[in-house]
Amino acid sequence: MIELSNVAFGYAEGPVINNLNLQLEKGSFTAITGGNGAGKTTMVKLISGLLKPTSGCVRLCGTDTRELKAKNRAKLCGFLFQNPDRQICKTSVYDEIGFSLSCIGIAGGEADKIIRETAEMLELDTKSEPFSLSKGERQKVALASVLAANPEILILDEPTTGLDYRECMRIMKIVADLNNSGTTVIMVSHDMEIVADFAKRVIVFEGGKIILDGDCRSVLTDERLRCISSVLPPQAAVLGQKLGGRFSGLFTTEEIISDCILQSQCRMHNA
Amino acid sequence: MKGLLEYCRGNSFLHSCNPLIKIAAAFIMCVGCFMCSSLIYVLCVIGITLIAGYSAGVGGKVLKIFTSLLKLGFILLLLQIFFISEGHVLISLPFGIRVTAEGLHFCVLLALRIAGATLPLALMLMVTKMSDISGALVKKLHVPYKYAFAITTALRFIPVFADEMNGIIEAQTARGVEFDTKNPIKKISLMLPLCVPLLVSSVKRIEDSSTSALLRGFSLRTYKSGVKTYPFHLRDAALLSVAAVTSACGLLIGILI
Repeated sequence: MIELSNVAFGYAEGPVINNLNLQLEKGSFTAITGGNGAGKTTMVKLISGLLKPTSGCVRLCGTDTRELKAKNRAKLCGFLFQNPDRQICKTSVYDEIGFSLSCIGIAGGEADKIIRETAEMLELDTKSEPFSLSKGERQKVALASVLAANPEILILDEPTTGLDYRECMRIMKIVADLNNSGTTVIMVSHDMEIVADFAKRVIVFEGGKIILDGDCRSVLTDERLRCISSVLPPQAAVLGQKLGGRFSGLFTTEEIISDCILQSQCRMHNA
Repeated sequence: MKGLLEYCRGNSFLHSCNPLIKIAAAFIMCVGCFMCSSLIYVLCVIGITLIAGYSAGVGGKVLKIFTSLLKLGFILLLLQIFFISEGHVLISLPFGIRVTAEGLHFCVLLALRIAGATLPLALMLMVTKMSDISGALVKKLHVPYKYAFAITTALRFIPVFADEMNGIIEAQTARGVEFDTKNPIKKISLMLPLCVPLLVSSVKRIEDSSTSALLRGFSLRTYKSGVKTYPFHLRDAALLSVAAVTSACGLLIGILI
């Protein structure tokens, strides 16, 4: 689905990514995490085709991103930026979602149907003015305009930054549903609780290199995580490691609570 | 123009001069370009500025600005050259359009003057910190801080907004907007909707900056505030002399020819 072969990229200040090789499967949910300036955003921009690698190649569904036109790229790969205000450029939610569709050549009745369906899915009022909404609502408008194009790949760059828990969960629930229906999701995040709750695979980035890569449980409970990266594992994983024994492999709060409940029920039963 | 008007660290002769002297020297050089209609003189001013830029370690950036200004000058040249019909005819075109020697001289001079007058100011901004410009204006000239701050903030925001615009273009490209079209009219029509997010982010940023400044006692500042002093040295006199002599030459040549 997504293949990066010997990818290198740098800005005027110097190289950011060197000789990166990565493959992401269709329908996967991958979280990319790491310290500030580790190259996470650069990597997802390379995947989306917004940046072109200086050497190597990035393939989306077998096509080199250099060969994809913006319109085709948007159909294939949606990108939700950390700051929704950079995406929003229309004065109503309806026009905002419609703008994305017009960019990929969908107009008229079909566009109208998609706009209404997308707005309904995200519980958005099509008549409201995007800039007068809260940050969470604006993020949802930006997400709606990305989802309207029905991309096969969805890239989220720190989608929950600055959002309260409720807004955060609402957005992540939508993303999880999309992933369950087959959309490939790549999410850059510093929020390890969110990563633990939703991602299936975790890639830890430092200095433009992958230092840890694997399924969520193995990476987040790996004791090396804190030593070799700027990432703090989720609280539940830290607690699990401290408690040791049967708790050592647990990495979400829900897992620890479930385990404790189960254990107390067993004790009560034995008593 | 991203990064071109930003301050570049250094400890060159120009970096160490007094900010006020640098402003004065840049303005004197600019005025010099308009006092003389000799192409060679204007080219000399551009040459001096480029040499000064290279001596301060920002020659590459000054050269980049020069080439951008030349492109702008070339557009102006094309817009004007066909409307000046006085003088010796060099090329005759259909519909009575003529290119004359005087017209060509005027247009080339205009294009070079734009470059010659802008480059010293751009160089001054690259070798002087914004805080030093406002500090020197307040300390030495007793300009009210709010005005000095407004001037320097306006300049400081140019690269910030350029950066923001790049981010917006990137976000819109991700949605499928084809900015790499070669049709300039189509490109303008694609860029116009981007004014909305840029305006919104600019207003928010300015609001945040003003609140932050007020909270840090912006309104309490007087010309006595501030730690830095801006004394004048011999090197400042040298810089001012070079600028003054260059402009005086321009004035002299202007009178003689």
